[in-house]
Parts: sequence; structure tokens; C-alpha cells
Amino acid sequence: MNFPLSFWDISLLLAVTAIILLITSELVSPYYGKTNLIINKKRLRNIALAFSIVFLITVAIRIFDIITST
Amino acid sequence: MHRARISLIHAAITAMLTLGVAAILTSIAYTSSVLAFIGLGLAFWGAILLYIRPEEYTKKVLLEAVLSPSLTTLNEMIQEFAYKGDATYLPPKYFAHPGTTKIYVSKRKDASLPAPEEIQKYENQPVARTTQGLLLTPPGTQMSRLLEKSLGTSFIVMDLESLQRKLPKHFIENLEIAENLEIQVENNKTCKKTDGTTSPLLMKNTTIHAKITRPIYEIIFKQTEDSQQSNALIGCPISSAIAIAIAKAAGKPVRITDLKSSEDGNILEASYEIIEG
Repeated sequence: MNFPLSFWDISLLLAVTAIILLITSELVSPYYGKTNLIINKKRLRNIALAFSIVFLITVAIRIFDIITST
Repeated sequence: MHRARISLIHAAITAMLTLGVAAILTSIAYTSSVLAFIGLGLAFWGAILLYIRPEEYTKKVLLEAVLSPSLTTLNEMIQEFAYKGDATYLPPKYFAHPGTTKIYVSKRKDASLPAPEEIQKYENQPVARTTQGLLLTPPGTQMSRLLEKSLGTSFIVMDLESLQRKLPKHFIENLEIAENLEIQVENNKTCKKTDGTTSPLLMKNTTIHAKITRPIYEIIFKQTEDSQQSNALIGCPISSAIAIAIAKAAGKPVRITDLKSSEDGNILEASYEIIEG
């Protein structure tokens, strides 16, 4: 009864989600004129940034692991 | 229809979250990574959609229909009372409460502004008629308050430079009033002397040009532009809100000197003059 995904699987999922969210956030930005999409764009941008930061933290953990294991 | 769409979004979000959690629990029970990916994906996206779900929106056409008669009434009232002077946005120094904003339209053309004490007598009235002029609440009052709320500060504590720098971001990103806003400040140092000749640096008139791209009220702006037959340019809610911001930031009376829109109504230009002295 273990969770089947490893830390790196979650990191991959975070990377994919973060990319999708960042691209969407940029495309629906008021600067591109796509103002007719009825969602809270500020929150979308915040969540995209949050996912990206969490993914970068997982990358930092990976780098730290590589450095300490050698 | 709108309510049905909102409840459909809620149903979709609930289904995604429920299925996601169920898939994660099943993946733990059967040690299936595929189910875990599906579960996490559904749960993530369900939570994201729940977080970014739409706010309450009103159709633009309804807003324009509601707003249009009040602006027409305002312009007709000025014409009916035969006020010949310019509409001047008064700065906070004219009022006992600095947050108050009013437009003063003088009875005669080229009449000077009354003293602040005179204005303060009528400060709490939405519309006040005096022998010399008319005191009105501008159509952009509430929008300027929204902008101040978004900025987290009052225009009174800002100067023109910071207004020019900060206002477009809140105009475009936070309130989504327009797709773009460009503010240009021009110091016109040439002024006529009493003998009719021009002399630089005699008096400094500041002119501000605002270029608004694809605003939310483009039809209202066009109607305002067409209905302005008197000298008093009050403007639409957007141009009026900018005039209020300028009057508060500069601490001086402001006039809208020109309002024009492009053929398709997508680009609107407003010119403001800060009255020195």
C-alpha cells in the first residue's frame, strides 16, 4: 500500500503542469488582447508562478542530491 | 443561461476532484503509477479550476445600456441650463474632505474659478446650481475610486510622474478597463503675453494626452463624443476617471480639452490641460 509515484515523477508532473499554466497565463494576458476569457487571470498567473517555483525547488533538491552523492 | 453555465463549471470541477482523489486512492491500493498520474492530474486541474473560476460578470451591452442615459442627462442638463464655460475638474484643495471630487461648469465662458470657500458650501450636494456655475459629481468618480483601491493608495499622495508610470498597469492588468493606456505629459512653455506676442517660460501649461486602446465602454465614449455640443467636456467614465486622477495628483484644476475616437472606436484619445495659477 505505497504511493506508486516517486519524487521525480511528481517533479515531471509539476513541470508539465507549470508549462501549460505559464503558456495559458501568458496567452490570456490582457496585453495580448484575449480579454474575453472569463477567468480570474491574476489568480491563474499566481498559480502558474507557484507551480513553476515548486518545480524549481524539486530541481534544486535534485542538484543538491547529485552534489552530495559524489 | 449564465447561472446554468456556472453550475456546469461547478459540476465539472467537483467531478474532476472526486475522480482525481478516487484514482489516487485506487493507485495506492493497486500500486498503479498510471492511475496515480491520472489521479494527480485530475486533482491538480480540479483544484486549479476551482481557484481560477470566473468572478461575477455582467454583459457589456447591459452596462452600456444602463450607463448611457445618465451621461446623456448630464450633457443635456448643461445644455439646458445654458452653461457656456468649460468643465473643470477641481482638485482636493477646493474641498473640506480631500476625497471629494467635483466638476465645476461656469455660467459664462472664460469665467474664473470660484474660491474654495464658495465651493465648500455645496460640497455635499450631488448637483449644486449657483449663480455663477454648476457643481457636479463626475461620471468617473466610482471608477477613480476603484483605481485608487487597486493602487492601494490615493492619487493625492502621487505625483504626475508616478501616475504616468503606475496607472497603466492597474488600468490594463488589474481592472481590465482597456487593452492599453499611454499617458504622455507635455510641458508647453510657450504662452501669450498681454501684448499678444509669445514668450517662452512666461507661464508653464501642462498638457496630458491619454491614448486608450480598446476600452470597455467604446460605444459610450463615441456617444459622449457626439453629444458634446457645449464647451463643457465632461467625458465618459474612463476619461473622467483619468481627469480626476490628474487633478488629484497635480493638485490643480484640470480640463478635458479634446476627446476623439478612431473610426472603429478602438482607439480613444483624450487631452487634458492642467490649469496653472
